[in-house]
Amino acid sequence: MSAHDHSPGGRAASWTYGLAIGLALFSGMAQLPIMKRYYIADLPGMAWAADFFATSDLHYLAAALLLMMLAWRLALDGRLAGLSWSWGPRTWWGWGLLGLLALTGAAKAARNWGLYLPPTTMLVLDLTHLMAAMAFMVTGLVSLVMGRKEPTRAGMAEGL
Amino acid sequence: MPKDISRRGFLKGGVSLAAGVAAGMAAGPLVLPGAAQAASGQELCTVLDLGKCIGCEACVDACRAEWQPTVPDPVKPIPQPFPSRVPIEDWSSRKDVQDRLTPYNFLYVEHLELEGKVSELHIPRRCMHCVNPPCTSLCPFGASRQEKNGVVHIDQDICLGGAKCKTVCPWHIPQRQSGVGLYLNLLPTLAGNGVMFKCHRCLPLVSQGKQPRCIEACPQKVQSIGPRQEQVAKAQALAEQAAAADGRPGQWRDYLYGLEENGGTNTLYVSPVPFAKVNAALHELHIQQASQEAPAKAGQGRGQAAKGGKGLGRRLAQAGRPPMGPVANSMENPENLTLALAIAPVAGLAAGLGRLFGGARKLGRALEARRQDADKGGQS
Ligand code: SF4
Ligand code: SF4
Ligand code: SF4
Repeated sequence: MSAHDHSPGGRAASWTYGLAIGLALFSGMAQLPIMKRYYIADLPGMAWAADFFATSDLHYLAAALLLMMLAWRLALDGRLAGLSWSWGPRTWWGWGLLGLLALTGAAKAARNWGLYLPPTTMLVLDLTHLMAAMAFMVTGLVSLVMGRKEPTRAGMAEGL
Repeated sequence: MPKDISRRGFLKGGVSLAAGVAAGMAAGPLVLPGAAQAASGQELCTVLDLGKCIGCEACVDACRAEWQPTVPDPVKPIPQPFPSRVPIEDWSSRKDVQDRLTPYNFLYVEHLELEGKVSELHIPRRCMHCVNPPCTSLCPFGASRQEKNGVVHIDQDICLGGAKCKTVCPWHIPQRQSGVGLYLNLLPTLAGNGVMFKCHRCLPLVSQGKQPRCIEACPQKVQSIGPRQEQVAKAQALAEQAAAADGRPGQWRDYLYGLEENGGTNTLYVSPVPFAKVNAALHELHIQQASQEAPAKAGQGRGQAAKGGKGLGRRLAQAGRPPMGPVANSMENPENLTLALAIAPVAGLAAGLGRLFGGARKLGRALEARRQDADKGGQS
């Protein structure tokens, strides 16, 4: 029996979360002027990666999907004790980074609706968002490479 | 609300109109001169009445005298970025160029010859100071900034010269000087390529309540600066006059540029001829200029950009001479997608807590039953 079977939303939710994280990270990285410089946009079918507006739209969509899933998860966790999840952050560090990304991202986006943020605040938001994303990516990669398993009840039930 | 005025511009206009009305009711009409209002932090807007411009370039000279010395000289040799196709852009030996935007020249004047009643037109060009500037909103490092008074500027201590601001600016205004700035202290070959420079609306002067140099120096009083709402009304009145004088009463929008472009800017041009005609003449002139200037002379040093064979559109975009065609709001999608961001967590919470709570309980019971099955299976 896999961990997905115990996780609300099952395998589909896990895949959707993984996809949303992947798209958010890629489209976020594409906000740095590196896709063209480092030939990524020259790969077949990847020209869009150098289009800052297209990747920015994608970033908003991926972030919206993540926010919806994480809010759903938090709400379910709040109402039902002992749920196990096959997706999402596993540690307070992970939750902290995602929370920081959501807050700084939301503040940056609020500019689009006319919220004025002083330049120094914008600088802090931009750099915090960037650093948190990098820390999240490194954490994810380390956890993948180390093959860390989720210490959930589902995992324990499988004897992992 | 006209479709082409962004929600953000509309909200800002409404807020400043309400503030203006409130201030008017409290203290009578605003009497501060435009530059002093700059110190009060209100969003500032310039109006350029092109019918008055004689093309003397006193504005350009004043801008250069004040600000060119603030643009540093590059280190020599300038590090060649990796990969080699990334161009070094070095204008330090061409500081005298003033017929286009360069890192050492924030303002230039277009001199147009036209057919018809108006035979010549002179157009000072520089950053438009957009209401929701993509150069600022999309800068990943917070180097491009917007002040509360609407001034958009680039912090030369933070900018790494990746030129994203230039790419996303509909007019490709910011100009790069390689070999200067923070990137030299980081990974000069692998990341960054200098600093971007452009008109900062004389921020250091304006924030002290002074006039921008180009406005002060103009013998014809072509430009004025003041609170956005007042300036929009002024520009519209001038455009109405221009349309009537051109025999097209009521068609004032054709004679006004910058009000709706890119969702709204704080630079409003009024012309005695329709901007469609101005833009067509500019386009022709820019093609002529681009064909006369070999790319190597146009500020590109080594690297791919120095090689020929690029498309005309790309060459025009790189030429430091912005067109005056219609420009859709480049921030329209982000403005709309912000709504998706706002709704998403609410929808997620509602799905987890609200009407679906019954469903969630069922889900919890089902998962618990499966867990128990698994436990039993494990024990047997
Ligand atoms: S005109 Fe270009 S550089 Fe100036 S504020 Fe608008 S987007 Fe930025
Ligand atoms: S406002 Fe100042 S920086 Fe901008 S063009 Fe005029 S003089 Fe130059
Ligand atoms: S704006 Fe004024 S100073 Fe500049 S070219 Fe026109 S008339 Fe001369």
